[in-house]
This record gives sequence, C-alpha cells and structure tokens, in this order.
Amino acid sequence: MSSQAPEERKRRKIRLEDLLNNNIWDVDPRPHIKLDTSKCRDCNYKPCVLLCPTGCYTTHGDDVLFSYEGCVECGTCRVVCPEEAITWEYPRSGRGIHFRFS
Amino acid sequence: MGDRFDVIVIGAGPAGSSAAYNLAKKGFRVALIERGRKPGSKNMFGGRVYAKPLEEAFDGLGKAPIHRWVVKERLSIVNKEEYVTVEYTGRGRKSFTTYLTDLTDWMAGRAVDAGATLITEVVVDRLLMRDGRVAGIVSGDDELEADVVVDAEGVNRLVLERSGLVERLTLRHVALGVKEVIKVDKGDIEKFFGLGEDEGLAWVFMGSVSDGLPGGGFFYTNRDSLSLGLVIYLEGAVQGMRRHIYDMVEELRIGPLFSRYVENGRIMEYSAHMIPADPRAIRPPRLVWDGLIVTGDAAGLLINMGYTYRGVDTAAYSGMLAAKAIEEADGDYSASRLKRYEEMLRNSYVGRDLEKFRGVHDLYMNPRLFNEYPALLTGLLRRLYEFDYEGYKFSKAFSEARRGLVSLPRIFLDLLEVYRKL
Repeated sequence: MSSQAPEERKRRKIRLEDLLNNNIWDVDPRPHIKLDTSKCRDCNYKPCVLLCPTGCYTTHGDDVLFSYEGCVECGTCRVVCPEEAITWEYPRSGRGIHFRFS
Repeated sequence: MGDRFDVIVIGAGPAGSSAAYNLAKKGFRVALIERGRKPGSKNMFGGRVYAKPLEEAFDGLGKAPIHRWVVKERLSIVNKEEYVTVEYTGRGRKSFTTYLTDLTDWMAGRAVDAGATLITEVVVDRLLMRDGRVAGIVSGDDELEADVVVDAEGVNRLVLERSGLVERLTLRHVALGVKEVIKVDKGDIEKFFGLGEDEGLAWVFMGSVSDGLPGGGFFYTNRDSLSLGLVIYLEGAVQGMRRHIYDMVEELRIGPLFSRYVENGRIMEYSAHMIPADPRAIRPPRLVWDGLIVTGDAAGLLINMGYTYRGVDTAAYSGMLAAKAIEEADGDYSASRLKRYEEMLRNSYVGRDLEKFRGVHDLYMNPRLFNEYPALLTGLLRRLYEFDYEGYKFSKAFSEARRGLVSLPRIFLDLLEVYRKL
C-alpha cells in the first residue's frame, strides 16, 4: 500500500467486504433465505451471482455457494432465480440489515 | 398483542405511516406494524422527495429531516469516458434530498404523535382471513384482529403473494437499485456544484454506466454526504450482466464522472432495494378487497417520468387516500365500499401521472437508448468541438457519428416514440 501514490489509492475500488463493513446487521441465527443448491448445477445463467448486490452467491465450478449473512434484504435473488430454488422470508424480530443513511 | 384495533397497517414506511397518521388523527385506533428495529431501517431510495404531497399528507413538514432543496438538475448521457450533460438551474425548492431512513422515522413519529400504536420488530406472515374477508394479520403464532387492514408492505410484497391476491414477482415487475452513501465535506459539496448552504443537486445519468442494459445512475447531494447509485431493470439483466453489480457501482464511483467529487470521501453505507418497474405489470388487479386496502410500492405506485423517479411522495399520498376511504366507509369495509380509494387514487395526481407516464417503461426497454444513442451523441459533439485546424459542418459530423450505429428512419421512429411517451 505505502508504495502507491495516494492518488492511485483513491481511484481504486473498495473491496465488497470492506464496503459492507460500513453497514450494521443483527444477523438472524436462523437463515431467512434457503437455497436448494441441487437446482443450481443445471442453471445456465446463475443470475443471482452477478445481481446479488452483496455477493451472497458465488460459484464453485457448476455449484453455487451461498451465505445469507451479508444480505440487505432487497429480494432480487428470488425474482431472478430461473429455477425457483430460493425460499425467501424476512428475518424475524427486527433482525437483519439496519439501514441508517439510505 | 392482545388489544383490538380498528385498523392494522402493515409496514411503517412512507405509505403506512401516512395512512396511520391520517387515521389516528381522526380518532381511529391504529396498529402500525414494522418488521425493522425502527421505522426506516429497511427503507432505501435514490435521494430526493417532492415536498408538496408530503406536506399535504402530514399537515406540514415541521421538523422533517430535510438536507438540501434541489435547485440544480443534471442529466448526463454517458458513453464510456465521454458524456453530454444538460443542466438546469431554477428557482427550485420543489423537492429535497434526505436519508429515507430518517424521513421515514419522522413520518412514523407523526403517526405515533397522532395516537397510532407503533409495533416494531414484528414480521407479518400473512393476512388473517375470516368468512372470505380480511380480518387481521398473522405473525408467527400470534393473530391480531382489526376491522380493516392497510397493506403498505413495500415492493417485495410477500404478504399479498402468500394470500394469493397478486402473482409472484417476475423480472418485468421490478428493477434493482444499489447505492453508496459517501461522507464528504459539506463546504466541498457547495464549492464543487455552486450550491448555497441548503441547496442541492439531483443528477441522473444514462448510457454505458449500466453496461448498455436498461437502467441508469443517480447522484444526489445530501447535507454532508453524496448518494451515488445505479438502477438495473431485471428483465434485461438476467442474461445481459457482464460484471457484478457491485463492480458497476464501484467503477462508477472511481470513474471519470464522479471520482473528483468522492475521492476524499468515506463510505457511510452500501444499500440495495427493489423498485417497481413496469407499472402495468406490478399493479395488482385491484387495490381493495373486503377488509383490505393496498398502498405505496406494494400497489406499484412508482412513477418513472424518464428523467426522474417518484415513489415516496406517491406512497405517502396513497396512504392518506386510504385513510380517507376508510373514514368515508363509515364502518362498512367491504370491497365495494372501499372502491372509493381506487377512485380517489385514479383522480389524484398519482393516478394521473401513472397513466400519463405509463409508456415510459417501454422506452427504457429500447437498448438503443443505452448504447447507440449515447455513442452517436458523444461522437457528434466530439467532432464538433475537438479539432486541430479544420472544423466539421454539423451535417457531416452527424452523418459520420451515426455511421454504423443507427439508420435515419430508425432515429426518426425512436424520436417519435420518445415524443409520444415522455
């Protein structure tokens, strides 16, 4: 890092994890999204991977790996999933994302 | 949840808070149910609200958290590092920037002050049905009864879906909005954009920023922060995405349009939300059933005028009309009686503008709007302005810029379409 000019550093992308670190969650220990990963192997487009704003869906070969912890509850994954592999509910009891400046 | 209420409102967002406020002030016993830790904590928008309808819905703006009154509007057509901008500076003060999280909290506060009971951290699972009519709500093992329910659950309307009152959301119904809020120096905002202390800028941009997909970007100045984001229509995105949506937003932030404004900034929040897209698709077949009224985003009441979106003011206004209809129903909450709400909505500015701008969505589905036309426009202006010795005649610059992109008859037809639908 120190070898880079400050200008260059400023114009670099912030990693998604670091972007997300600015948010506040109270993660529901019970996942509010369930993914039937057996349906993902044959899915051609896997649109969830590029469209989930928080990167909850990643690929590993033909498989989709999923974690719900960074979810901001936009609901896009359920709508774009061509396989209807996603069961989506709101987190319970005030859990989940807590927006403050949006 | 043992008490009995006259009205249950699902969701303490702009629509629900407005309904609750207008009902409570008339003496109705109202339960305003919110799934978040506090009102606003699940809400997100682009960045600005039109003031007048809010003023009407909440009897003034009082201590509403207003950041800046918009006096400058910018619209940019972007083709990679080149862009064409139209800027309008007027008398302004019709709309303001804010954080929707704070504004929503204020709206729900107005409802509570008027006597509504706010119940937070409760997710409504489904509607409670009795004898074929809506009789309350169900949350987990709890039931809560009321004479009438106002559904203000937002765009991701799981309650209505589960009740079978609307179809499952599809790609045509919604778009995705993603936003970064970036803390910057208050004085810098005013210096960069030539704004006074409480004056703001609203900036919309279209073209290559969405990788040529239907969608666009937005940029708003808050008090001491900037809101920068993208909207992508899911219809085109499923097969058309070339990179992660996060990469698109981040590259926008560090790209030629915005890097100079945000380079000393610090990210405050990264948020995302769905937005109603095609109004003809997302609008439920009806907005009233026996014992139920649907408002706000859940009713698809978002207006895309082509160069700006309005959803918060329309939501609040629909909540107010729902309250009026309930009051006028005088205890008979059958669908035929509540139909008055649909009628009032249709005759209000919300219904009129939804009708007026209903075709704008079709314009957005024209890929040339995001690819060929930005390239043509920047290609034309590049030829007109950038030369060493010899300049171009307009006609020559135009025909050269157009070459290989789009035919003259096509341009004529597209322009005609824009003229008709905008």
